[in-house]
Amino acid sequence: MNAAARQGRPGLWIGLFLASAGVIAALTVTDAIDSITGFILFAAATGLLIPFSRSLGKRGSACVSPAAIRYTKGIAVTSLLYVLGLGLAITLDRRMELSGAVAFLVALMPVIPILAMIWVMGRYLVEEQDEYLRYKTMIASLAGLGLVLAVGSFWGFLETFGLVPHMPGWWAVPVWAIGMGLGQAWMSLRDKAGDGE
Amino acid sequence: MKNRLKVLRAERDWSQQDLAGQLGVSRQSVNAIETGKYDPSLPLAFRISDVFGLSIEEIFLRE
Repeated sequence: MNAAARQGRPGLWIGLFLASAGVIAALTVTDAIDSITGFILFAAATGLLIPFSRSLGKRGSACVSPAAIRYTKGIAVTSLLYVLGLGLAITLDRRMELSGAVAFLVALMPVIPILAMIWVMGRYLVEEQDEYLRYKTMIASLAGLGLVLAVGSFWGFLETFGLVPHMPGWWAVPVWAIGMGLGQAWMSLRDKAGDGE
Repeated sequence: MKNRLKVLRAERDWSQQDLAGQLGVSRQSVNAIETGKYDPSLPLAFRISDVFGLSIEEIFLRE
């Protein structure tokens, strides 16, 4: 496979990113590498989202709309900024005694990319002219919201009963993203299963 | 909602992509409507009716 063919395959890049993230997570959980090394490797792996978003643009708009390409690029960039902001905030928290206004500002580092992510999604829903693609995104968002509410409330009760440790509130974003991804995957499978072409 | 999109498309020898291009939507949308997984909005139903030169009732059938 030549370089041009590789650049036009978004599935290859997202697959490489997910595989890298999985390996890094496994190494971190098993204490094969420390959390700082894990963060640096994960931030580097997030760089795979750049050729992913470029390959979407090269593919053109045969299967996705221009708004969807802008949305995917926006989500890739804000995800990269979120990972960087999260890593910096955690590193600063471990190395410094954060308090007051400084702690407030450090806490904003991962939150600003999350706000940007929400804005990117809102802009997509406004700009998307294809009503079926818009419908799919709304259903996927609801799937993400449903997972956050289900996991959050179940975990909350387990925590109240002393069965599980306290979970910080920022888990909501990755759980929402997982739910949204599952929703999108389910609808894509359903579309492929009934493809009448 | 049942519809005759696939038959009407075959009569004209159009692919899903051809119809999608004329409607200004994705092929996914045409496939979802054709297979009854998604019911189009009224404005899109009127666009489909204009493309085929038929009334909405001649394309979309009551259950």
